[in-house]
Amino acid sequence: MASRLPAVFLTAWAAVAPAAELAGKALAGGRPLADLVVAAQALDAAGRVKAPPAPAAMALDQKSREFVPHVLAVRSGTPVYFPNSDAIKHHVYSFSAAKRFEIKLYSGVPREPVRFDQPGIVALGCNIHDWMLGYVYVSDADYLAVSDAEGRWTLDLPEGRYRLSFWHPDAAEQTAEQIVSVPAGELAVTVELKARFPTGKPPASLQNQGYGDGF
Amino acid sequence: MLLLAARFPVPPSSFPQQRQSWKPPCLMQSLLLLTLFGLMMQICRADDGQFPEVTWHGLLDLRYQHSDAAPGELENGLGKLRAGGERDRWRVNEAAATLQVRLDWDSMLNATVKYADRQSTPLDLTEAYLAYRPVGAAGWRLAGRLGMFFPPISLENTGTAWSSPYTLSSSTINAWVSEELRTFGGELRVDYQTEAGDKLGVFGAGLANNDTAGLMLAWRGWSLHDFESTLTGRLRLPEGIAIPALFPKQAKASQTFVEVDGRPGFYAGIAAERPQRYTLRALYYDNNADPAALSAGQYGWHTRFWSLGAKAELPWETTLISQAMTGRTSMGELLGDLRAVDVGFWSASWLLSRPLGDGRFSVRYERFGSDERDYLPQDRNGEHGQAWTVNYNLTFAQHHQLNVEFSRIFSARPARQERGEAAYQEDTLWQVAYRLFF
Repeated sequence: MASRLPAVFLTAWAAVAPAAELAGKALAGGRPLADLVVAAQALDAAGRVKAPPAPAAMALDQKSREFVPHVLAVRSGTPVYFPNSDAIKHHVYSFSAAKRFEIKLYSGVPREPVRFDQPGIVALGCNIHDWMLGYVYVSDADYLAVSDAEGRWTLDLPEGRYRLSFWHPDAAEQTAEQIVSVPAGELAVTVELKARFPTGKPPASLQNQGYGDGF
Repeated sequence: MLLLAARFPVPPSSFPQQRQSWKPPCLMQSLLLLTLFGLMMQICRADDGQFPEVTWHGLLDLRYQHSDAAPGELENGLGKLRAGGERDRWRVNEAAATLQVRLDWDSMLNATVKYADRQSTPLDLTEAYLAYRPVGAAGWRLAGRLGMFFPPISLENTGTAWSSPYTLSSSTINAWVSEELRTFGGELRVDYQTEAGDKLGVFGAGLANNDTAGLMLAWRGWSLHDFESTLTGRLRLPEGIAIPALFPKQAKASQTFVEVDGRPGFYAGIAAERPQRYTLRALYYDNNADPAALSAGQYGWHTRFWSLGAKAELPWETTLISQAMTGRTSMGELLGDLRAVDVGFWSASWLLSRPLGDGRFSVRYERFGSDERDYLPQDRNGEHGQAWTVNYNLTFAQHHQLNVEFSRIFSARPARQERGEAAYQEDTLWQVAYRLFF
């Protein structure tokens, strides 16, 4: 059931025909960087008119005891479903000011989505699996993208001028905003990462799974 | 939060009063606990079709050891290993299974049953407790444990059945914790968690059945091993020293978890954590035992100590874990201002660990010692020493782990001379272990 979700939710985006494409590559230490959020705010009336009007519902899955994707970027007001593709239960919560919630996940898709109304960064945790870590980036920007495993990101938007802002959960310092005029060539964004950062991935050995000294 | 800390050590009102009529509980207690678990599972099943959620974890540990060392605890010796006398050994070091039953979103039952090489009861419980850990609204989180569990001292033993991902042998501090300490009682913890995940909290516990804790530190001294005592466990005392002559009422073996005087003990502490960066813990423990108490061959040992622990993630993917402990254990009636046995003890360890190739490399250095101030100078309990442990382990497919470990311990303990041994000894241990985790 969970696997059918993206197809349904992405339909609304397809209805807005893009006029141009802004693509880029995220790098950290010379290597591709996944999970970089790129938010584009239109500076001309043209870009704003064609911005997708209503936020469609999105999904953030729990698979093999990880949040998938690790970072989800949504426009303010977007409802997000938290399906559970694992055979075990998850207890997702957030203490972040932008959205406080907890949701008890049995297997399958919960009936009610969580609506993210306020812009900000929502850090997600699981009360059962301490290492699980995920982020919902909630923004008022007109266009949003997240870089993939190869560091690539693409924004489909009309020609015009845009203010780009960037965010990565493990950045030592967030990359400064940029103004770009579309069409533009591929944009390289370099991020310096924190020396040590949480990955959100389950432990490499079963030795450390499910105990943690009990305290 | 300080107010809460002060109120915390709430000793349960009805601790078992086991003065003279103590009987070996062994199987009975184990069966009772397991029955209780079964009953609770039944009750929960009736409530909610989705709970309880039952999971199993386990560990099998096959070990080859080669030692050049003095006889240890298993050989009634004063050496620094559990067994030092035999030079070469192949054996099943340990087989353990942990049952976790999630009763609802906030509560879980946890029980670990273990077999270990020459354990006094071949199959026995090391832990059995109910843990309550809800999601706290607005950053406050209340958590608790009830039953039999390890006090939160070790920062190394975070794996299945209290195993360590860093070394096979525990540090002197953690080896003693696993041998003589267990909380039989309740623990409460209040944490404040910030948005970034930082946690600051206080905790406290009331406990029973720890009245003989401290005996091994006084009479045998610090040691390095990975044996966790069990519910009905007994530890061998060193032979050839003054114990039987001076304490004829002492039983031949120390019963690890027993209530001698009916007085509850406690611990209280603070914990701070920044996920993936550092963990700090400090606690004060006092078993509050009556040093003049004696029941069925087991003396009460009044043991109190401070424990400090820090874990930090350093550059170059290196983890530092440092623990320190300092305290005193006292036994016997007062004579003037002195007791029969009154030993101050301390130990500190530093462990550095980092990924190396596909495996993990760890090295630990520790120093330890004890001194005494009592009216029986012929019962000599002072010592001092230091130890190095170096381990490399490789994990395959999450389940299989191959370990190679080297330990070298330098120690001086004058009581060894009564056994015709030199006071100063150097113990060496090579270990190869295959561990299976499931």
